[in-house]
Amino acid sequence: MASATDAPEEPAPADPTDEVLELAGESPEELYALLDEHGWGDGLPVVAPTPERVEAMLAGYPGRTDEVLAVLPPRSGAATPRTVAVNAVMAGCPASVFPVLVAAVRGMGRPEFNLRGVQATTHSVAIMVAVHGEIVERAGYNPGFGTFGPGWRANATTGRAVRLLLLHVGGGRPGDGDASTQGHPAKYTYCLAENGPASPWPLYPRSRGVEAPSAVTVAAVEGPHNSHDMWSTRAAPIFEKIASVMTTLGSNNAPMMGAEMFVVLCPEHAAQAAAEGWSRQDVQLFLYEHARLPQRVWSRHHPDRWSLGGPWAADVDDPERLMPMVSPPEHIRVMVAGGPGKHSCVIPSWGTISQSATVPVETW
Amino acid sequence: MTRIIRPDGPVVDQAHHLAPPRRVLAGARIGVLDNRKPNAGLLMGFVAGRLAERAGGPAPVVLTKNAAQPAPREVIDQLVREVDLVLTGSAD
Repeated sequence: MASATDAPEEPAPADPTDEVLELAGESPEELYALLDEHGWGDGLPVVAPTPERVEAMLAGYPGRTDEVLAVLPPRSGAATPRTVAVNAVMAGCPASVFPVLVAAVRGMGRPEFNLRGVQATTHSVAIMVAVHGEIVERAGYNPGFGTFGPGWRANATTGRAVRLLLLHVGGGRPGDGDASTQGHPAKYTYCLAENGPASPWPLYPRSRGVEAPSAVTVAAVEGPHNSHDMWSTRAAPIFEKIASVMTTLGSNNAPMMGAEMFVVLCPEHAAQAAAEGWSRQDVQLFLYEHARLPQRVWSRHHPDRWSLGGPWAADVDDPERLMPMVSPPEHIRVMVAGGPGKHSCVIPSWGTISQSATVPVETW
Repeated sequence: MTRIIRPDGPVVDQAHHLAPPRRVLAGARIGVLDNRKPNAGLLMGFVAGRLAERAGGPAPVVLTKNAAQPAPREVIDQLVREVDLVLTGSAD
């Protein structure tokens, strides 16, 4: 504790590239007024991004803090480690998650992620952040009970920091840069951690060719759709139910057969499959075979879906032929997360117009 | 007094500029970049046809793109080669 005779601590110097604003104080009311004035924030209280807090977030960062990690549309804002740190402070992040945010921003900046479209669409798409590997425990993520939230700082603030970056640096304000018709609660925060120790299969990044000890996946997706099965004692009926959840005509996967769809299995459903010898690929193939509808249904609702991922299917001339919801099978992205219980979930994507990115997390 | 850092940061100049407007339509070659949203092609094709009639130019060139992604390079190149102005940009 400082004594009364200690000299007052010098404020941390601001980076010369920072634009610093001055406030009378950092009460919630003063911060809300500042956010309102500039059109910032997600509607929830924020932590004041003082130079001292931002420097603490950046402490030890090994690279240049002004490196442009990604240009975030539609504003064309430069997402640098420094701007990431500012928004991480505002979101309430512990410094331990900062490496995940840096990697997540790199992933969102990949051309195939198509962030301009993700930001601007009328769809309710949100950006899901899935954290994998050693960083899960090291940074304090919760891969177990309620991994999607609430109640765990690392999970909650990682997803929120990504959203604040999209709002502030990317300019994705509702009705302005973001045309989402209804929005979505997952646009406040959307983060889970893969439960590696409870998974019977190799970590999810291995299925995407990423061998790093820690990684993060960013994906432009809908919210989770529950698939509940506490009755079945065999894997097949569990996955038939999951297939039924996948087969929904209103998601963007319906008009775009080649799009990704995520299936986040609870450890107990995954364990049942593994006990019967199923690999991750077996899960993908089973769901590919069972998540289907007759061609006549597709013809009625989405006659052009074959041009978006399945041109081979255009020549099938049998209205009763069962056609897959997702093709190829590996576009059914399977990972394990959550705690005890019998609830898995299906997460449809925004479509073939955005591809998820799994990026190594560099730690320091 | 509390100092805070702006959270939006600098904007990267991506050097996108609008082309100068064409002030006279006479003889103009008109293009349509249909983003395949419902009725977008119908609406813009109709307008382009009427403009072409009025301007005495050739029949419009109609190309398509995905609504959620940038137009492919070859589509842009074809428009640059073959038309003087483009109608595009219809949402849902």
